Amino acid sequence: MTNSRRSVRTDTRVILICSGKGGVGKTTLTANLGISLARQGLSTAVLDADFGLRNLDLLLGLENRIVYTAQEVLEEECRLDQALVKHKQESNLSLLPAGNPRMLDWLKPDDMQRIVDMLKEQFNYVLIDCPAGVEDGFKNAMSASQEAIVVTNPEVSAVRDADRVIGLLNTNAIKPVQLVLNRVRPKMMANQEMLSIDDVTDILALPLLGLVLEDEQVIVSTNRGEPLTLNSVNSPAAKCYLNIAKRLQGEDIPLIDPAEESSGIGAKFRRLMQTKIF
Amino acid sequence: MNSNNQKIIVNIKDIKYQNWEICLKSKLKILKSSNIEIDSKNLDLSCSDISEIIKIANQYNCKIISFCSTSSKTIVSSQSLGFKSQLIIENSSKNTLKINQKNLTFSKTHFHQGTIRSGEYLDSPGDLLILGDVNPGAKVSAEGNIIIWGRLLGIAHAGREGNSQATISALQLRPVQLRIANKVARGPKTKPQFGIAEQARIDSEEIIISPLETK
Repeated sequence: MTNSRRSVRTDTRVILICSGKGGVGKTTLTANLGISLARQGLSTAVLDADFGLRNLDLLLGLENRIVYTAQEVLEEECRLDQALVKHKQESNLSLLPAGNPRMLDWLKPDDMQRIVDMLKEQFNYVLIDCPAGVEDGFKNAMSASQEAIVVTNPEVSAVRDADRVIGLLNTNAIKPVQLVLNRVRPKMMANQEMLSIDDVTDILALPLLGLVLEDEQVIVSTNRGEPLTLNSVNSPAAKCYLNIAKRLQGEDIPLIDPAEESSGIGAKFRRLMQTKIF
Repeated sequence: MNSNNQKIIVNIKDIKYQNWEICLKSKLKILKSSNIEIDSKNLDLSCSDISEIIKIANQYNCKIISFCSTSSKTIVSSQSLGFKSQLIIENSSKNTLKINQKNLTFSKTHFHQGTIRSGEYLDSPGDLLILGDVNPGAKVSAEGNIIIWGRLLGIAHAGREGNSQATISALQLRPVQLRIANKVARGPKTKPQFGIAEQARIDSEEIIISPLETK
């Protein structure tokens, strides 16, 4: 094989982004984290392991550029660099779709391992967008990962599913597993209408990698196919994603306090009253 | 392949062999094409180890039916892969603790350290002592008592074989459901007072929760 001549990188981080429950923001996090890491000059590959319902290409605005998938690479119908789709603006970021939505059960854990081994030679970061659920799709995606980020929302069903997934990650010796709490609404948290950060971290008992605030801009950017972090508009969610990317590299950035973010003078005044400063 | 439906127990921890892989292979060589129960003794096996065992068994045309082990880690992994698994408790006279001139035997107590997460299930043929939380969606059961040094937020079933004297104790008792022997109760609606360990037991045909007392 031609690969044998190249030196194999050992410092590549292969990170699985998973949640158990669907719709909590795995794909959005993968896309934004990919862009953020790439903007910091790190060569990053995002692997869409959710190929039955693949969306990552849509979020990155790369749908029309996909010609080959990892499936063709493994069957040696094309080279890896033909299947990798480079992002239009962020040349450090490449997308690799794992398969064709029509070929549902071709992927096996061994195939996944081979794909990831190939990507490891070229990239600093490999982010794997995991499908929802805990069945074969998840097990395949997990088989080639070293560490994981579990995404969850502050609601009971998402936390329950995340807990199940963390159990599976632990029995498969994936370390470290970190937590991202997505779609946080500071106002609802302040009024105790939503699970608090402590409620979630109490049950899941994982280090919190970051919070992402609920932001309407996420929907707009998804529909446009331009991840929020790409244009660094003054969006609260984009800031959160950037912070997560920095923390992932070991930078010490304090977590935002949702209470500080809950807008409106009324709320701030009420808080001051509660803290009995007056 | 299924020429005999008999189950053959294969012990994969044998001092005669260097490690379990070599042990398994050499034992399967003799037992071609049979149904196998793996006894892994006190080995801690992860899901990937168990997948490896299945792969090896397939090479020898053997079918793995179930697992038994004294390690709860192995049981949790094999259960999460969908195998029938049984926890075995080692009988040893060393496990006796002397408190207030009373001998407390721990010979049938199984000790598990770590959180039991949603979807996981741990069962003990004796008493069960858990150092960690039992999360919502998880289930623990024991033939005897269950003691949780942590929070009980899932389902617990003590006295699984009908022992109505069995109790369930936890530092924080906030279960979804409690079962003792053949009685079932829903968890309390109100949060318990913080810092007081509680115990559930059967009193006049009902499961009641009261602050934990040690006599």
